[in-house]
Amino acid sequence: MTKLWLVVERDVRMFLRYRFILIMRAMWFAVQISLFGLVVSSMIKAEVHNIVGSYFNYYAAGVGIMMLYSTAMFIGYDIFEEAEHGIIEYLLSLPISRKELVLGRAIGGGIRSFVYIGPMLAIVLFMIGVIHPLNFLVAFASLFLFAFGVSGFSITLASAIKSHDKYDIFMGMFNAFVVRLSTAMYPKAFMPDLYANLAQLNPITFASDIFRWGAGLESVLTTSPFIAVIGLFVFFFTFTFLGVTIYERRIEGGGWE
Amino acid sequence: MKNILFLLEYDFKNFMRYKWWIAMLISMNLADLFVMALVVTRMVSFDYFRFFSPGVTVTALFASAFMIGREINWEVRRSFAHYLLSLPIKRWELVAGRTLAGGLRGILYSFPLLLTTFALLGFPAPHEFLLIVGALFLLATGTAGLSIAIAASTRSFEKFVTARGVLYYMLFFCSTVFYPLDSILSVLPQPLALFAQLNPLSAGADLIRALLFAYPTSTLPSLFELLRNLLAFSAVFTFGGSFAYIKILEAK
Repeated sequence: MTKLWLVVERDVRMFLRYRFILIMRAMWFAVQISLFGLVVSSMIKAEVHNIVGSYFNYYAAGVGIMMLYSTAMFIGYDIFEEAEHGIIEYLLSLPISRKELVLGRAIGGGIRSFVYIGPMLAIVLFMIGVIHPLNFLVAFASLFLFAFGVSGFSITLASAIKSHDKYDIFMGMFNAFVVRLSTAMYPKAFMPDLYANLAQLNPITFASDIFRWGAGLESVLTTSPFIAVIGLFVFFFTFTFLGVTIYERRIEGGGWE
Repeated sequence: MKNILFLLEYDFKNFMRYKWWIAMLISMNLADLFVMALVVTRMVSFDYFRFFSPGVTVTALFASAFMIGREINWEVRRSFAHYLLSLPIKRWELVAGRTLAGGLRGILYSFPLLLTTFALLGFPAPHEFLLIVGALFLLATGTAGLSIAIAASTRSFEKFVTARGVLYYMLFFCSTVFYPLDSILSVLPQPLALFAQLNPLSAGADLIRALLFAYPTSTLPSLFELLRNLLAFSAVFTFGGSFAYIKILEAK
């Protein structure tokens, strides 16, 4: 357990070195809320407000989840950085099992995302207000599962691809679609059928919907909280343990590009 | 003139090295257009898809024209700029070639998206087409000049990336790329609304809209004003950026 914690602590510390990236992301958050969210809300038809309540609140909650997703994804880039500088070999030489290493990294990736986006989520919650504290606690715990799952997914992909360029390109293309094909930015009711069907299976949809439910925006709920929690648990379980298996098999023998 | 052509060739070859990065950028632009804009169209009272299509062309042009700065910043960090200065190329040819290359790369990259916009909104008359391409060229060279000036002014890649981020966010989101000027004027404070009105990306997107379809706003500046804004942006940053580039390189 101590070893696992050491891995988690190391990843959290490493994250704080990326101060320029952290500043940039914080600025992106501010711009999304104060410019894009505000102006787009003013353009929205009354019909939408009838369904989602305040679209601004709806969007602000979605931006929080997008931030959590992109921050948790970042751990994959750390792995390539380590491969480039030969640190993976050093990590392998430590008296820590492969399982502890990858589990620690998935948890560390999730925790550091929370540490970073905590103040931003607090701002979003301040704007929306929390009506049911108990619901919020359930939602908050589910978001941890989401963050760990995203980190596990990122580690799984990085270990499977083993090429920084290919990973970077794949993630760029993947993120472009996965975020837009979710309920983070808009409700399912306004998506064409194909997009709505895809959004229904998207973990970002589960996370966005459970966060809104926790914050008391029930009127916009498109996924039942029970389904969302189950979906996030399956996502977390799949990618954390798939990540462990793939990372264990692929980490040795070099071949990192 | 021959030297400028060499520099153009050099920068276009560099651009082609980023083919996967370009593919990634295109997929993001397409996702914005064919997913985000399609959904938002159902949520607003006007055809957002048609409205946004010129916007995405302009953002793509800006992002690709700005890429020259990434290379120039690398050259400054690795002292490669000394090699460039030692070549039998005049200083003005060097800056003109680099700025022109940055602008032309922007045009080249955004052209498929511009054609997509035409396919969706209708093809313009030949003189309108030339006006659009000319306006986009002004925007692209101004952007390249701005990018070069920022890139040459710092040896730190992080600082360059942060400055680029601030510019991107302000120019993209405080413009009429994503939303009509009416909406901006009704919500944002006066200084930000003024910034959006003078923003070159607004001018580029609005100019394409004005020529391709009846743009749904009562506050749209005239074609003359849009062109004037683009010309002013291009003149200031093409010449200002080029001057700063050469002065900074010689000083380092």
